[in-house]
Amino acid sequence: MNQAEVIARLQTIFDTVFLEPVVLTPAISAKDVPEWDSLTHISLMVAVEKSFGVRFRVGEVENAKNIGEFADLIAKRRQEK
Amino acid sequence: MPNDYQTKIAELKSLLLAGQPTFWAMLKTATRSAQDFEELFVLSSLRRKAQARNLAPSNPPKEKIRLAILGGYSLYPLHELIEHLCEVENLPVELWQGDYDNYISEIMDDASGLYSFAPQVVFLLPAERRCLYPGSLTDPRPAQQAEAQRVVDSLLELARKVNEKTRAEVITTNFMLPARHDLGAFRSRTLGSDWSFRKWVNLELGLAAPAYLHICDWEFLAQRLGGLAARDERSWFESKQPCSSALLVELAREAAQLISSFKRAPKKVLVLDLDNTLWGGVVADDGLEGIELGDTSPRGEAFKAFQKYIASLKQRGVLLAVCSKNDFARAAEPFEKHPDMVLKMEDIVAFKANWEPKSENIRAMAPELNLGLDSFVFMDDNPAEIEIVRQFAPEVTTILLGPDPSDYVAQLADCRLFEPRSITDEDAGRTSQYRSDAQRKALAASVTDMAAYLESLSMEAVISEFLPVDVPRLSQLINKSNQFNLTTRRRSEAEVTAVMNDSNFIGYSVRLKDRFGDHGLISIVIGEKKDGALRIDTWLMSCRVLKRGVEELVLNELVRLAKMKNCIRLEGFFLPTPKNEMVRDFYGRMGFTLTAESETQREFELPLESWQPMPVKIKTIRHAYEPS
Repeated sequence: MNQAEVIARLQTIFDTVFLEPVVLTPAISAKDVPEWDSLTHISLMVAVEKSFGVRFRVGEVENAKNIGEFADLIAKRRQEK
Repeated sequence: MPNDYQTKIAELKSLLLAGQPTFWAMLKTATRSAQDFEELFVLSSLRRKAQARNLAPSNPPKEKIRLAILGGYSLYPLHELIEHLCEVENLPVELWQGDYDNYISEIMDDASGLYSFAPQVVFLLPAERRCLYPGSLTDPRPAQQAEAQRVVDSLLELARKVNEKTRAEVITTNFMLPARHDLGAFRSRTLGSDWSFRKWVNLELGLAAPAYLHICDWEFLAQRLGGLAARDERSWFESKQPCSSALLVELAREAAQLISSFKRAPKKVLVLDLDNTLWGGVVADDGLEGIELGDTSPRGEAFKAFQKYIASLKQRGVLLAVCSKNDFARAAEPFEKHPDMVLKMEDIVAFKANWEPKSENIRAMAPELNLGLDSFVFMDDNPAEIEIVRQFAPEVTTILLGPDPSDYVAQLADCRLFEPRSITDEDAGRTSQYRSDAQRKALAASVTDMAAYLESLSMEAVISEFLPVDVPRLSQLINKSNQFNLTTRRRSEAEVTAVMNDSNFIGYSVRLKDRFGDHGLISIVIGEKKDGALRIDTWLMSCRVLKRGVEELVLNELVRLAKMKNCIRLEGFFLPTPKNEMVRDFYGRMGFTLTAESETQREFELPLESWQPMPVKIKTIRHAYEPS
């Protein structure tokens, strides 16, 4: 999966979790989305891991600065499977 | 799951955006069936958004439960899940959260925010890392045991302290067991291993817990889910989570269940279908010999096991009833003649086998048993019957049995409708009470003179001030009595204890016996002294003993105690609920004068100066606040 494909699937997860529609771009990050608080974040991560069938390593999600980097991380973890 | 789930969420979102109040009913159904953490979480955020938009449920309760959560973990997002589960069940909570791993000082420090919050319920999650044996695996067992006892005692002490300061009900988790092979078979040969040490602590904690302390059994929940699925080390390192997100859901559900059990009574009656519920096949077609029941076939064994489980429910106080579309004689035959029937006629308090709709049959049972319809649970294998009851007797809780009788026990055992807070001997004796009620009514029919009838019952009453030993039973009755209940004020065990220890209050209960049996504790009164008056805070009575003279007996005692407290009048209040219409004019009937009336309250007064005791046919063995 490339970054765009990952982001497309992420979009469907975000559409479920958020009430107000959010259009994902590689540059977007949590601070751009008012609904994306730390509580929602936990829920998002559980949904992402389940949907992509990946498991992030301890501490690495918080290093991703935006959706683009997060999508790259997902793609990398998927490749290792 | 995802499609179904996404459709559900999309539908909820559109109801929310349209401001439809039906949002709440759907949210409740979705929350009850939600399995996953993220699903529950999304539902919770939808609830928050609805609340922010002032989309409120149609009948919000007047007051919130003040709930404090504290412990040795990050309580975030656990608190969110608990709040959500309580709120959708119409038990709104006001939350106070302790700081991460600060619970000991929060409890020990009298000036902490915990105490200024004044919680009614405290949920404590003590840190697992404080529950281990610090010495060597090969230390002598007494040393290891003493250390385990120390862990138990320090937890009991925290609970005692917080209860003493706040009178709150206290819930504490116990400890998850390890799920790794570490130590191998040696783990069970020493009390020093985490495995043995925590098991010992959990057992001692549960067995030693006082009435105000409730165990949220984390060991059990983790075991039920699976030890490996219960833990998530990464979430501990990243955000100090207590367990995996899957177990977090179960933990929150259990906490919400406990909180709701403080306020709500368990169900009282299980109404059972017969064909393909208690036995396989249709007795009217297959005949007594043709039905599947007993050890001759696997299906027959499954039905028999189900009956055994139902009999165990009866043992702990659940009333059993039958509702079957059948010819009465055919339906009764297995109960009388089949050698493998576990349930017998005398186990059944109401037996309806006819061709009327089941909803009508169940409605008819309620007045016969003097119980509200919402105390009934109906179980059937036929979806059409379940649907009729849902539509025409919506107060009744229904359980649709699955296709396989070997799953029946699990379905009933997991339904969470019949869980006792504490099993009393009186629960176990209740079926015989109801049955001798029937005999008593037969006697009333034969004796025309009511006074002579009451005389013939040889009734004896024991009136007792609130005693510590009665507290569980008092709280149980206070929380489940609906019909003969003037104010319907609920009180937890801790709150009953507070009344017992406050000299401004009087509180007493009445136990009644007659020649047919012991009714147990059947009436409770709480009065508060205020400006020369004794205000009747609570007056309730079990409907089983209506019109036997207990009402008059209770009033005589109330006046006696009021005079002892130098009061010159009684003040009575009627607070209407959907269920207590029968006592709307009760104080009037007892000679009180109506002094004020509004939609929500009727006030009455009884001056005591020239009041004369009322005649009763009950012998009083003991009075309250007097040596027995």
